[in-house]
Amino acid sequence: MPPKRKAADTGRSRGASKRATPVPDIDISSDDDYSDHEELPEETNLKAVVNKFSLEAFSKKNQVEKTDPRFGYKDLSSLPLKRDHYNRPLWIEPLKGTITLESFSPLAPQAQDFLTTIAEPLSRPTHLHEYRLTGHSLYAAVSVGLKPQDIVEFLDRLSKTPLPESIRTFIIEFTKSYGKIKMVLRHNRYYVETTDPEMLQRLLKDEVIGPQRMDSTEGIIERAAPKMGGLVIPGTKDAAGVRETTQQEAAAAVARNEAEEGGAVNYGIDDIGEDETEEAITYSFEIPAAGVEVVKARCQSIGCPALEEYDFQGDTVNPNLDMDLKPAARIRSYQEKSLSKMFGNGRAKSGIIVLPCGAGKTLVGITAAATIKKGTIVLCTSSMSVVQWRNEFLRWTTIDPGDIAIFTSDHKEKFKRSTGIIVSTYSMVSQTRARSYDAQKMMDWLQSREWGMMILDEVHVVPASMFRKVTSAIAAQSKLGLTATLLREDDKIKDLNFLIGPKLYEANWMELAAQGHIAKVQCAEVWCPMTTEFYSEYLRESSRKQALLYIMNPRKFQACQFLIDFHEKRGDKIIVFSDNVYALERYALKLNKAYIYGGTPQNERMRILENFQHNEQVNTIFLSKIGDTSLDLPEATCLIQISSHYGSRRQEAQRLGRILRAKRRNDEGFNAFFYSLVSKDTNEMVYSAKRQAFLIDQGYAFKVITHLQGIDNYEGLSYATPAERRELLQEVMLQNESSADVEQVNDDLFSMRSGKRVTAKKAGPKRSAATLSGLAGGDDMAYIEYNKSRNKQLKDKAGHHPLFKKMERDRQRRKKEREMEG
Amino acid sequence: MTSATSRPLEYLEGLPGTTFYKLYQQPSTALAIFRRMLPDLVNVAKCFVMALLYLKDPLPTADLEVWVNSESKKERDNALSILGRLHILSTTLTGDNVRAYMITNPFAASLRQALTGAEDSHSFGVFSQAPEHTLTSITDLDEYARRQWEGVMGYMVGTSALSGQRDMVNLSKGVKQLLQAGHLVEIRGNRVDITKDGFGFVLQDVNTQVWHILILYVESAEAIGMDSVEVLSFLFLLSSLELGSSYDKSHMTPNQLRTLMDLADFGIVYQEHADATRFYPTRLATTLTSDSSALSNPVTGSLTGPAGPSGGSGSGFIIIETNYRLYAYTSSPLQISLISLFTNLKYRFPNLVTGKITRQSVRRAIEMGITADQIISYLLSHAHPQLRKHSAAQPNGKGVPASVLPPTVTDQIRLWQLERDRLRATAGFLFKDFTSLAEYQAPCQYAAEIGVLVWKSDRKRMFFVTRHEQVAAFLRSQKVGGK
Repeated sequence: MPPKRKAADTGRSRGASKRATPVPDIDISSDDDYSDHEELPEETNLKAVVNKFSLEAFSKKNQVEKTDPRFGYKDLSSLPLKRDHYNRPLWIEPLKGTITLESFSPLAPQAQDFLTTIAEPLSRPTHLHEYRLTGHSLYAAVSVGLKPQDIVEFLDRLSKTPLPESIRTFIIEFTKSYGKIKMVLRHNRYYVETTDPEMLQRLLKDEVIGPQRMDSTEGIIERAAPKMGGLVIPGTKDAAGVRETTQQEAAAAVARNEAEEGGAVNYGIDDIGEDETEEAITYSFEIPAAGVEVVKARCQSIGCPALEEYDFQGDTVNPNLDMDLKPAARIRSYQEKSLSKMFGNGRAKSGIIVLPCGAGKTLVGITAAATIKKGTIVLCTSSMSVVQWRNEFLRWTTIDPGDIAIFTSDHKEKFKRSTGIIVSTYSMVSQTRARSYDAQKMMDWLQSREWGMMILDEVHVVPASMFRKVTSAIAAQSKLGLTATLLREDDKIKDLNFLIGPKLYEANWMELAAQGHIAKVQCAEVWCPMTTEFYSEYLRESSRKQALLYIMNPRKFQACQFLIDFHEKRGDKIIVFSDNVYALERYALKLNKAYIYGGTPQNERMRILENFQHNEQVNTIFLSKIGDTSLDLPEATCLIQISSHYGSRRQEAQRLGRILRAKRRNDEGFNAFFYSLVSKDTNEMVYSAKRQAFLIDQGYAFKVITHLQGIDNYEGLSYATPAERRELLQEVMLQNESSADVEQVNDDLFSMRSGKRVTAKKAGPKRSAATLSGLAGGDDMAYIEYNKSRNKQLKDKAGHHPLFKKMERDRQRRKKEREMEG
Repeated sequence: MTSATSRPLEYLEGLPGTTFYKLYQQPSTALAIFRRMLPDLVNVAKCFVMALLYLKDPLPTADLEVWVNSESKKERDNALSILGRLHILSTTLTGDNVRAYMITNPFAASLRQALTGAEDSHSFGVFSQAPEHTLTSITDLDEYARRQWEGVMGYMVGTSALSGQRDMVNLSKGVKQLLQAGHLVEIRGNRVDITKDGFGFVLQDVNTQVWHILILYVESAEAIGMDSVEVLSFLFLLSSLELGSSYDKSHMTPNQLRTLMDLADFGIVYQEHADATRFYPTRLATTLTSDSSALSNPVTGSLTGPAGPSGGSGSGFIIIETNYRLYAYTSSPLQISLISLFTNLKYRFPNLVTGKITRQSVRRAIEMGITADQIISYLLSHAHPQLRKHSAAQPNGKGVPASVLPPTVTDQIRLWQLERDRLRATAGFLFKDFTSLAEYQAPCQYAAEIGVLVWKSDRKRMFFVTRHEQVAAFLRSQKVGGK
């Protein structure tokens, strides 16, 4: 695939994505209404559909949608209940497409699988789950091979009430054109493929697409549809030699028997597998490479977006990469499920897989790469995770170390043979300004190649504009996005849905925790009352300074101190998070703990982290925002958050993710702890409630602690006297407003203009502007000195055992003696 | 359950000693009070009563104290205190001037009679001997009770007027007057407005509600020319009847017949028509003093409307999740309007209502005078069997089953209330001006033991209690003992 085509393509998609949604207008020829709604988000689109049908429909329909004036609910009670409604687990609401699922129903497991495929999960606590049907989710469902008719039938079977007409129409209308057309690259020739002869005719008659058809001798090609059959995802049961199909059949039969014996009604859910819906024959015609862009654009505008699939088994042009999962590597059931969505029909689809932090996203990416066995490029957010990815590849696969290369500001390697894996960062690849000579050479090399797959780690941080730069720079057959939290406070997440592909799979956090794949976490929100003096200043100050006051609230400091001490005594390893660097330093220095923030040099970071992992003396570290993502610390079992980024749900989830992979998670009765310290009666309370929304919908419960048991009798509590508190207040009041700001360096590439911050960190000499007074020690020299001493302490501990120190001293002494003698 | 028992208990405690004397004449009353009025918490009180019941002579206090381990001293004192307040136990002096406990007489005699069954005063009702041509089954009775009771509730919250519901119940004037007299509703013109007390009332579980109504009834009995003691003892009689049996009315006094009529309006008893020769007690009556928990009370269950097999045994219908979403399996307008008092409702399906409890919705409820505890106890008493199953399946480490409602939600509801009222008033009595520390400490400690202490300050030598009689008595006895 020539890069030029890609570039033009993304330009095109930018135009399309202005609509903020991949939902196409349904049928431009039959109904002009839809082109009017084109600009609106999919919910409005759905409403348009609903309204359209409710207007035409009988007046009773309008009653159904009426909001009860007294209680404020939407009255749907006139929907008739099916006679055996208690055996069916779903309610479907016709206005917004909210689906409520009884998770205790015997049919719930199947229904849950089905719903995660066709709808967005809204909340998944213990008993009742909510999902919502959206244009995106249906797009995703179709792209993994479900047929609209089956979706409707299924929903109707599972629903307690007959499927509302508006939902039925919505599904049919929105999906009838999805997935019908596929753009396939086979033997480096482009084909337009469809299973529907009518669609084929329509395409051929189309004024734009028709002429693009190559006048080859083949004409219209009929061939058997691709099957999963031949493909085996390594690490799965298949690979272990078990025939999955027979097993599935057996399981289905057992389930059926059980259902019958149990007297439950079987609705035939077992009968429909996602892959079996594929029709036997596909029709395709060839188009020239130059015409791909035009055809894709045309497909988009007639409302049948073409799915991109990569027939990697049939790709003979790109060389194969000799790589396999090690025999010891076993992937877990949910990882297998997510991959089977990706490789559903033996081809690689582009899309996003959402797994909680610590649930093995990396392994999913690696397994996908090992399945495709072509050149792969992995993009991550920081150079720290670049190293982690490379190590994981070497750990899980049989790949030759020479075949895997790193491209960062200080490593610019190529692999030795014809193909291999490149691990890099988003900023390296998307940089547009002048590069160093070797970096430019490296980029040229990357751009000149065609890649089998592009793995996008932590994909939620990549803004659309940067993503376009990345895809325009590098040609890849398929894209796999990995993330734990597909949510942003802004609306930009929808762009990803479109630019990369639909969400293929989203795991249920609670389920994984129950199965022991991620740690069980006790979440708590600790309310720290503001001391009187701090609160009166708080009421007086501007909002930026207010933040500093509630973060530095002495009661919060005491709570933090108490919790650290309590958990250190229990043998926990603790991470304390603070967005605010001033507070981070104050807290860490006062409590005499190590800390890392954006300004900490790379080697010092490594040293501190290593100590945290292996040194029994270092049980607590303070981290700024840089620790939010991609930091792998399986030792950590307790997390305390003292300041955070306003109401960011994603940050809360990412931070929780730091303790989900706790090593000890499978110990009997083990719990990890997550504390969020909040100053009472301040803005922090409001933010805190917002931040927790995502996790609460995943089923986590935040316990509010208003008083820490035993803190009153705790000895050595800081700021115990009013005098000390006044001193602290004075110090805080002297800080300028910028101290209250959160750290600017972060993982979120949205806020980063270029990759300079990350890359410049490790470059040899550093040049920086400074004031004369600063250089003369007029600034914060005192505590920087203190800081260094902490790190030196660690360095000494890390570097030398006392025994070696003694030996060294002895040697020095002997040497001196010898010299003296000499 | 404490809330269910405390109200009748409080009422009884407020009665003068002579009333008790009259009440305890009836064996059925003695038994009912013995069964119900001594809450589970003080089972030890029942032990004392049973142990002392057949003793010929009073038991010296020292002997009784030996029965209880020293670490359970608090429970013992609490039990003795309750027995004293109910005039069941009294202290006398034996021949050799030793303080001793004995069961007061009418109670002891009546209870003995109730236990041995040698009675002929129709204290436990008389089965109707007349041939039964129209048999009334327990299901019919439950249905009748449910309809009547829901009618009363519906009248209070105004649902019946609003939606013109099916099977509207015509409430008698007496019922409406009683509700008004109890300040549960206010009538302005022809509009019925529920009061703060009324909100509290409708959120309680059925058993507590019935007691509430009955006590109101007894209190207002004097006003309409009836003897409250007679009414009260008749209520205790009703509570000891058997569900599904019919009883003869011919032995009854005119007052009792009148009471019967009034109770029929509430669905507490059933009679075919006013002149019928017999009546049936419904489940509302028979569970009044029984230990069987009101939670599994089928009346409560059937109040929830058509729960269907998916609702399990139908004993509860509300599921509340850790994300504050509330799902109620109900189609009853009454329940929906109750839930909407503290929930933002979202959708109403034929058999399910969904909504979310938010800070704002709880505050709205609190402003109307509903307390967080009332909301929580309402949610708890109507919790769906799935919630119970879930909590039973997850012991929290110490073998104690986890709480039925998500603790974070109940905590949060309470905190939302606390946010609003940071001051709380407790009615009670202040003891102060003690001359010495020792003089202060002993009664203070005693008050703590019998569970009436609210606040104390060692420095100021002051303490605050909810009821003073026993502390005062204790102080007097101290003085006597000291001299």
